[in-house]
Amino acid sequence: MGKYIVRRLLWLVLVLFVVSAITFIMMRLVPGGPFNTERGVPPAIIANLERRYNLDAPLIEQYVDYVAGLALPRITDSSFRRSVAEDYLINIPLDFLGEGTALRWMNFGPSLTRRSQTVTAIISDTLPVSMQLGTAALLVGVLIGVPLGIFAALRRNTWGDFVGMGVAILGVSVPAIILGPILQYVFGVGLGWLPVTGWGSFAQVIMPAFALGFAQSALIARLTRASLLQVLNEDYIRTARAKGLHNRTVIIVHALKNALIPVVTVLGPLAAALLTGTFVVEIIFGIPGLGKFFVNSIINRDYTIIMGTVLLYAAVLVFANLIVDIVYAWIDPRIRYT
Amino acid sequence: MKRRTLQYSRFLALLLVFALMVGVVSAQGDRKVLVDAGNAVGASDVPTLDPSLATDTSSIQVLIETNPGLTRINEVTLETEPSMATWTVSDDGLVYTFSIMPEVPWVKYNAETDAVEQVLDENGNVRYVTAEDFAYGIRRSIGGQLGSYYGGIMASWVVNGDAVYAGELPVEELGVEVLDTYTLQITASKPAAFLSTIFGMWQAYAQPAWVIEEYGDFWYEPESFQGYGPFTLKEWIHGESITIIKNPFWPGTENIPVPALDEVKMMVLEASAALANFEAGAADVSIVPLSDIDRIQADPVLSEAYYVGPGSCTYIYGINTAKPPLDDARVRQALSMSINRQALIDNVTKGGQQPAFFFARPSLAAAPHQEDYPEYVLGEDVEVARELLQSYLDERGITLDQMEPITLAHNESEGHARIAQAIQQMWTEALGITVEIQTQEWAVYLETIKSDDAPQVFRYGWCLDYPDAHNFLFDVFDSQVRELGINWNNEDAAEFDSLVEQAMVEPDMQTRTDLYAQAENLLTNKDAAIIPIYYYTSLNLTQPWVQRTHSQFGQEYFEKWDIDLSARP
Repeated sequence: MGKYIVRRLLWLVLVLFVVSAITFIMMRLVPGGPFNTERGVPPAIIANLERRYNLDAPLIEQYVDYVAGLALPRITDSSFRRSVAEDYLINIPLDFLGEGTALRWMNFGPSLTRRSQTVTAIISDTLPVSMQLGTAALLVGVLIGVPLGIFAALRRNTWGDFVGMGVAILGVSVPAIILGPILQYVFGVGLGWLPVTGWGSFAQVIMPAFALGFAQSALIARLTRASLLQVLNEDYIRTARAKGLHNRTVIIVHALKNALIPVVTVLGPLAAALLTGTFVVEIIFGIPGLGKFFVNSIINRDYTIIMGTVLLYAAVLVFANLIVDIVYAWIDPRIRYT
Repeated sequence: MKRRTLQYSRFLALLLVFALMVGVVSAQGDRKVLVDAGNAVGASDVPTLDPSLATDTSSIQVLIETNPGLTRINEVTLETEPSMATWTVSDDGLVYTFSIMPEVPWVKYNAETDAVEQVLDENGNVRYVTAEDFAYGIRRSIGGQLGSYYGGIMASWVVNGDAVYAGELPVEELGVEVLDTYTLQITASKPAAFLSTIFGMWQAYAQPAWVIEEYGDFWYEPESFQGYGPFTLKEWIHGESITIIKNPFWPGTENIPVPALDEVKMMVLEASAALANFEAGAADVSIVPLSDIDRIQADPVLSEAYYVGPGSCTYIYGINTAKPPLDDARVRQALSMSINRQALIDNVTKGGQQPAFFFARPSLAAAPHQEDYPEYVLGEDVEVARELLQSYLDERGITLDQMEPITLAHNESEGHARIAQAIQQMWTEALGITVEIQTQEWAVYLETIKSDDAPQVFRYGWCLDYPDAHNFLFDVFDSQVRELGINWNNEDAAEFDSLVEQAMVEPDMQTRTDLYAQAENLLTNKDAAIIPIYYYTSLNLTQPWVQRTHSQFGQEYFEKWDIDLSARP
């Protein structure tokens, strides 16, 4: 298992490298640049800006500089000062090598349109917010979806099943862009129970987490139901029942564990998508998350933010899938990795 | 024992949740805190608070309150008035001497004491804003090699500015001189009627050299930020809000009074989220989402809070005059004359906009008013439009069906799409022509309309940087700086250039206005190289307990606002 994880992590490095190269090439091929605005930009100003951000260097040099800044750790002494050009995500103090010495790693570079921010600062400010929201939404999704799926499966073709799956279809068909404002107007404006927008308190998490998690819960409920129905027809369930086990034990211990494998499979990419920021919900509820930076950076051609967020998403996706694979082995003892 | 611990931790968790919920509704007491949900609308964050780097309205809104310039724009009359300085100009119009208000201290918000404090220098004396601080700001913007956009704009107006900006001359060569502690002299590279406005823009604000040297690129974060205006920076939660707090050391002037508000919290919100906050009573001011205008006007409470005032932009359709059939002025005139602008405003845009026939907004200094120059206004007349088109067709000996198809392009946006569809229909009904609508993503669109191969008709908008007709007519259409692909290079275009260049240096206001009127005549009437459509309005909602002014240029002066605490629920 340990060997397997190490091998997967080595693959991660290769994946990130390929993703960075493809992203870099693609974003430079698209017309338009970060300094284009509706008002004209005189050539002297463009030249000054390109000089400032090294965009006048050959493309290959820009790419190598970027990858080197991101991938290579460096050790700095006390003269180091955070700047737009040098801002590292990981800073480990090494005071035993001298006062102010530190190991620094992962410089995502300056943002080209948010003129005095770095991509590192944007990620470290907004990623935790997006992860909190994503975790809350995932919890909502699982806590509503799995019980709803079980309930529907156990009452197959009864009113309970129809109601449960009706709710699920509703969840899938009402996107967050509709559900969000409805929640906002009912619970925020109308009833005044919850703050309309913002982030930082528990009350501010409820509506966005529900708006985001409801559609996921619908997906999870349908998967759980289908998978559980299939498992319930297996021989070993009949055996378990024949042994005289309590119905609840049969469902929870024997059936559900196996039925959850497809659910866990979708949770990997779902988690990656939710944790790295979700544009629509962040915009509706005014949440300072990563999602809106991601989308706006593409509109604005902010090359460094595009690179940073795409790489981050790729890394989280690969990690989430790795965790899913590990969970497989725990749920189903027949699955073994070498 | 173990069980009890578990119960305790559960109790503590509940308590924590409760505490968090209570925290949200904590009262603001009797302090006058204004929540503005109408500033950085739609943005993911306020991009910067560095005066040298600011380019957008939300950044400038904060800086205008924390670091006022040498001069500033009156928000109602749009005239340039004294701010931190009064000034004199030499007879040749080149040397500007600014006398800066003495003993205005630099201040800083201290989060530990929750108070604004005066900044002391290394000897323990109060640091006052000096001519040196303004000179430092200007030199940093133009000569700092920071990629400063407005530093580049200002560079061409200061002696040696362009060479310093390009890094070809040292910054000491810049035409900015400190005569004494409170006297600053700027030598312009050429005279112009609006230089006092340019020298009052944010890239020329005073900047604290000692802070920038110590903290480097991130000096403007609340931990180190220093200002001197009626407010100073208190808090900046990236992507969520910026809060400015009243500066008790601001002396107050005729133009910039001591603020009545204690704090202004500017939220970073998209328009419909801003409106939801306003309706929930969580915001005092909000901008208006276009899709909600009908509902707001019909609602008895919201309609009372609704305000429509002049905006700062003009909406136009540019024309590529090199592409047939629009290479003939008659066809262009026919298109312009057959748009029913008022119907478009009443049924599509709905925000009370004003029909435009000239490009420069009438509120700008030296801008001609279309009603004062009826002979230069193309106007709307479907009959005349049809005759013009017919005479063009007859001359070419073709029928309408044989005429080249016309493409109308706009960038992706629901609002622009609705306007384009309405105008497409008007043209079809009035002239019988078919028009194809093309949309492009924003960054691609910008490249498209700036190339010589621009679409035949394309949407464009322009907003003021400084309130002078020069900022519209010269800065967008003079051939020295023009980027739009209108391919307007005939004799009239040359005459247009000479008119706006003459108007730039002309000291007499009425003569300037006449010159700009003649230029508008060539651009919008005789040659119809563009089709002006409407002058923007600015729409907002204000709670009844807020007393405010309404700015005509994009930023508000919060020191003139107040909150009636007794009327606030």
